[in-house]
Amino acid sequence: MASLKDIKRKIKSVKNTEKTTRAMKLVSSAKLKRTEELAKKSKVYAAKLTELLSEIARKMAGENANGLDLPYFREVQNPKNVDIVFVTADKGLCGGFNAQTIKRVNALRKELEASGTKVKLRAVGRKGIDYFRFNGVALSNEVLGLSSSPDFERASDLIGQIAQDYVDGNSDKIILIHNGYVNMITQEVRQSQVLPVDHNSLSLDNISTSELEVEPDEDNTLLEGLIKRYIEYTMYYSLIDSLAAEHSARMQAMDSATNNAKEMVKSLSVKYNRARQEAITTELIEIISGMESMK
Amino acid sequence: MELMKLEIVTPDGVIFDNDVKQVTLPGSEGEFGVLPKHATLVSILSTGVIIIETAQNKDILVAINSGYVKVDETKVTCIVDGAVSLSEEDNELARAIEDAKALLKSTEASSMAIAAAVSKVEHIGKSR
Repeated sequence: MASLKDIKRKIKSVKNTEKTTRAMKLVSSAKLKRTEELAKKSKVYAAKLTELLSEIARKMAGENANGLDLPYFREVQNPKNVDIVFVTADKGLCGGFNAQTIKRVNALRKELEASGTKVKLRAVGRKGIDYFRFNGVALSNEVLGLSSSPDFERASDLIGQIAQDYVDGNSDKIILIHNGYVNMITQEVRQSQVLPVDHNSLSLDNISTSELEVEPDEDNTLLEGLIKRYIEYTMYYSLIDSLAAEHSARMQAMDSATNNAKEMVKSLSVKYNRARQEAITTELIEIISGMESMK
Repeated sequence: MELMKLEIVTPDGVIFDNDVKQVTLPGSEGEFGVLPKHATLVSILSTGVIIIETAQNKDILVAINSGYVKVDETKVTCIVDGAVSLSEEDNELARAIEDAKALLKSTEASSMAIAAAVSKVEHIGKSR
């Protein structure tokens, strides 16, 4: 039986923890609001960009056979080298947020390696880097600080390098994995193929024949530029999406931590009161029995 | 007078989304104007100023760094990297002009193109 003093001390410490977790929850919810706003804004841009790209790509595909022989559309049947780019948070205390992404990355890696494919991992975010380092898995890229403050320039630098690797033929496929934001209480691991540009996501198969002037129309300047923009933006958007999900996951984790702390304080107070009552009873019995014996 | 829809989107959100009479765009092959019922066209936009004539006959200037535009018969969609909107009715026009100048100067375009764009931006400040 713990002494009264011990219980009191414990209650105090749990109460302090509760204060901390509550504060962290508030911080996360404020940050979430901001990130959500950012995500909403950039979603419009992303949608327009995809629309324009698919329209032009469709037109090029319809017009001439070599319009789509850009390396960005090179589809390899049995990819030998696959790059997995994944985004995790820089910080913990957000429930299963990072673990989910890592689990998916691991599953995909095992699946690909089982079929004889070489997999290169490129990590954004401290948590993912730490995990794979601890397990002795080599990472081709280790990017810190980008997932906690998405920056378009840095994101495009990173994906630019990776895309260059792809264009040079060092890899056949680039897959992007991140944990995305669905709503306040749900996150969802999202996996997308960055390169080669997915025909389905651009609905390339319904070739349009509508009249479309392209300026400048020599070679593929416009299409190439657009594709670069598109993948850069895909990367950037996944960072924002991941950040929003991180904040919502942390909010949830901190909310349940606060509730648990409250619960604990309650049960500890009951324990404290019981112990106090017990002490009083013991003392009373001692006094009464002392009096009895004096009679 | 016929109207068409104009949309200007940047990664930071929608800058402009309304019906307009005419719009002049800084294409990579030279400046060009677009009226309603223009043929479908896609072009690269270079550093410069988009001049919009709204349905209320007001001029709005939007300074951009680079991007793309898609024109069809009823709608013009500009997808740009960065943009600053300047309207004659804006209370904080002076600051917007400064922002626009900073945006234009931060690009890698030729100094002549930047100078031309900056002079256009400054003009709106004086005309009021």
